[in-house]
Amino acid sequence: MAQGEYIELHRKRYGVRMDTHERQRKRNAREARRRAAQARNLTGIKAKLFNKQRFKEKAAMKKAINQHFENDKQSSRPRDDSVQDGALPAYLLDREQQARSKVLSNTLKQKRKEKGGKWDVPLPKVRAIAEDEMFKVIKTGKRQKKQWKRMVTKVTYVGEAFTRKAPKYERFIRPMGLRFKKAHVTHPELKTTFCLGIIGVKKNPSSAMFTQLGVITRGTIIEVNVSELGLVTNSGKVVWGKYAQVTNNPENDGCINAVLCV
Amino acid sequence: MVLVNFKTITVVPAGDALVDNVLSKTQRKTPTVVHKGYAIGRIRDFYMRKVKFSQQMFHDKLTHILNDFPNLDELHPFYADLLNVLYDRDHYKLALGQLATARSLIDGIARDYVRLLKYADSQYRCKCLKRAALGRMCTLISRHKKNLAYLEQVRQHLARLPSIDPATRTLLIAGFPNVGKSSFINKITRADVDVQPYAFTTKSLFVGHCDYKYLRWQVIDTPGILDHELEARNTIEMQSITALAHLRACVLFFIDPSEQCGYSLEKQHSLFKSIMPLFANKPVIVVANKTDLGWESALDDSGRALLESFKADSGGRAVLMKMSTHEEEGVSEVKNSACEKLLELRVESKVRGKKVQKVLNRLHLATPKATSQERTPNIPASVLAKRAVQSQGGDDTRMGGEDGDVEMGEEGSGPGAKKLERDLQEENGGAGVYSMDWRKLYKLRKEEWAYDVMPEIVDGKNISDFLDPEIEAKLRQLELEEDAREAVRDVTGDAEVGGYRFVTQGEKQVVQQIKDRKSLIKQESVREKNAHKHRSALQRNKVLTRRSRLQEHLEGLGLEKEEASDLVDRAASRRGVKRTRSESVAVSVVRSSSRPRSTSRTRSVSIAPNDGFSDPRQKAKAIELARKKLKTGVAKYGRKGDADRSIPSKLPKHLFSGKRGIGKTDRR
Repeated sequence: MAQGEYIELHRKRYGVRMDTHERQRKRNAREARRRAAQARNLTGIKAKLFNKQRFKEKAAMKKAINQHFENDKQSSRPRDDSVQDGALPAYLLDREQQARSKVLSNTLKQKRKEKGGKWDVPLPKVRAIAEDEMFKVIKTGKRQKKQWKRMVTKVTYVGEAFTRKAPKYERFIRPMGLRFKKAHVTHPELKTTFCLGIIGVKKNPSSAMFTQLGVITRGTIIEVNVSELGLVTNSGKVVWGKYAQVTNNPENDGCINAVLCV
Repeated sequence: MVLVNFKTITVVPAGDALVDNVLSKTQRKTPTVVHKGYAIGRIRDFYMRKVKFSQQMFHDKLTHILNDFPNLDELHPFYADLLNVLYDRDHYKLALGQLATARSLIDGIARDYVRLLKYADSQYRCKCLKRAALGRMCTLISRHKKNLAYLEQVRQHLARLPSIDPATRTLLIAGFPNVGKSSFINKITRADVDVQPYAFTTKSLFVGHCDYKYLRWQVIDTPGILDHELEARNTIEMQSITALAHLRACVLFFIDPSEQCGYSLEKQHSLFKSIMPLFANKPVIVVANKTDLGWESALDDSGRALLESFKADSGGRAVLMKMSTHEEEGVSEVKNSACEKLLELRVESKVRGKKVQKVLNRLHLATPKATSQERTPNIPASVLAKRAVQSQGGDDTRMGGEDGDVEMGEEGSGPGAKKLERDLQEENGGAGVYSMDWRKLYKLRKEEWAYDVMPEIVDGKNISDFLDPEIEAKLRQLELEEDAREAVRDVTGDAEVGGYRFVTQGEKQVVQQIKDRKSLIKQESVREKNAHKHRSALQRNKVLTRRSRLQEHLEGLGLEKEEASDLVDRAASRRGVKRTRSESVAVSVVRSSSRPRSTSRTRSVSIAPNDGFSDPRQKAKAIELARKKLKTGVAKYGRKGDADRSIPSKLPKHLFSGKRGIGKTDRR
């Protein structure tokens, strides 16, 4: 016991009150009432937080209870200790021998998938975006009369080599604040997400012009740099660019989330 | 060295609590109402403010935590090492470092999202961006839950560390477990360390304080150390090693030659040798404890040789002392010699240091010169004389005053004593009855004046000068005279008595007539005034009536008709008088022809000098009068005057219409 632990020291020397345990028991018993009162009286954000917490607790409680039931059932069943014929030890369970027919059906399925799913994308349907939503009209001229300039209001990808036209003649303005260079790309099979650099915009489903401008909206196919992942083609070449489809609204979320098309 | 008070570190909130706290603070302390109809700039500001506010809150909280915890590089090496032993330096630094990184990441997130918010074109987009920003900040913090929990544990432990001052005079007790270290500290201080008959009862450093030479000494009890390599030592032993390594103290190395502790004397000796390097530049005392067990006689030669070798192995620096904490034999000797050795060392090092010269230059030890002269008390001659009288007079009645020390109380009761006012009071009826004679205390040029009769003076005049001694007699005579006269009148009924007479009935009637007439005139005047509403009746076009009335009046005074008319004309002609309608043209022509044109021509009335007053004095008087009248009005009827506070409008429109914005309160 360290020198500063005065509470423990006092307990050690003088013990606790005679009715400590009774008081503790009563306090624990009152706890439910206290929480009920709290649940009744809380309002607003506090109530929201409280209820969320309570919901979690209840879910965990139910899970635990169900588990106990399962255990009870299993324990009540007579245990059969006899070993079946051909049973494998646990460390050999992985090496399940595949039946030949299963292999066949698997390869068939794979082929079919490759054929049909060549242009299959995670988000097959997306909302079309009209030009007036995409562009904001910029008024120019001495009397603010000319209205031929447009500012893109969505996230864009602008290649590194891009050089602006003279501002006077630039029709489409892509603001610096909305230019993105990185995307969070999820590998659907590995179930992991990587932050990868964007190489280019392959296709914006809303319009070819948007593709040209490099606008990234939900459903846009972008090309990402996967060299860090170390993917290899069937012929043994290292893949460095791969397509991915954007799954979120980057202009609303402040980041680009995409799923790799494999 | 930065001295840190570990007890002031505030509670480190758990990750969830921190997030909840910041989010609810953001909700409470920023505006909550926004509509999509607002100007987009206003909407953007609203959400930017939320993002910035949360970032600031997170930033402040993390900064507070980072500032609170001591920086190991700036601490005293003793504490730095102790923290390393107890909490693992790497873990500690990593936790703080990660929090610092999280702080800068949060700043970055806020910056990015504020930038994006500037391009948001709808409320929905603003809201989505705000939500994303806060979400990312919260996720970041909840990733550091473990760090925060670790820091909270460290904080709680730190706060309960004994407060050891590494710079002060210190006695450090070290040795194998169970050799009587804790018993010793319990004996010389009030530390109250737990003493048990098993090894490692003491698991951390304990501090006690004792006094020696009116100085305060810090005594540190360390956990027992075993004899093995540094790498093999556990946390408990490492605390002892840390203290031994970094504190400039007098080390008391405890040994138990009776070997009751469970470790042989050879082992204890080898431990002493192995930790020898830690004793460099420190006074060391080897304390052989438990003499009450009789090991002194039981030791064989090899044991004695071993005991002696302690001194030899330390290069002759160590001193061997024997002691029994159980019997309390030699305890204070050990303490005193340890303190003495350390004190010597400290003074020596101070004298050797550079600073000492600065102090010595300014020091001067003043000693008084020795004189043979005896210094006796000085008693004035008058006091001595008085004492002599006192002792003579007092001898027969009482014993007081033999020391020549006379007090006030004694003085009163002696026969030669002055009579006090209190005695006089007792003689003359006691308190409440006796009134003191102040006159005897008067300080006058001649004492006999004290009881003189004092004249009564009113308004600077002596009343006795105006007192007629015969006034009573004269008054009586007058009254007699009056009575006689009344008696005569009652008898005769005559009006005239002694030059006075009573008013007759006729005279009374005349007086009544005069009074009536006066009241009539008064009423007339009042009526006149009311008819003109207290305004002056003097108007230019009323001159004629005035004129006729004047003429009438003059005739009433006894003037002839022509004479009166002439007078009136003359009075009127002083100013250019216009022909009135009632006057015939002929008359006017006659009148005008009779005078030169220049005089008869009517002139426009110029503004009279002095605003219509005859002279400035009159004007001043009139102004004064007006002021007074106004004043009486204000005072009498409680009217509002110029000096009263006036609020022109109780509900000014610009303050009571519409809603109040974030900005100013004095306009909408």
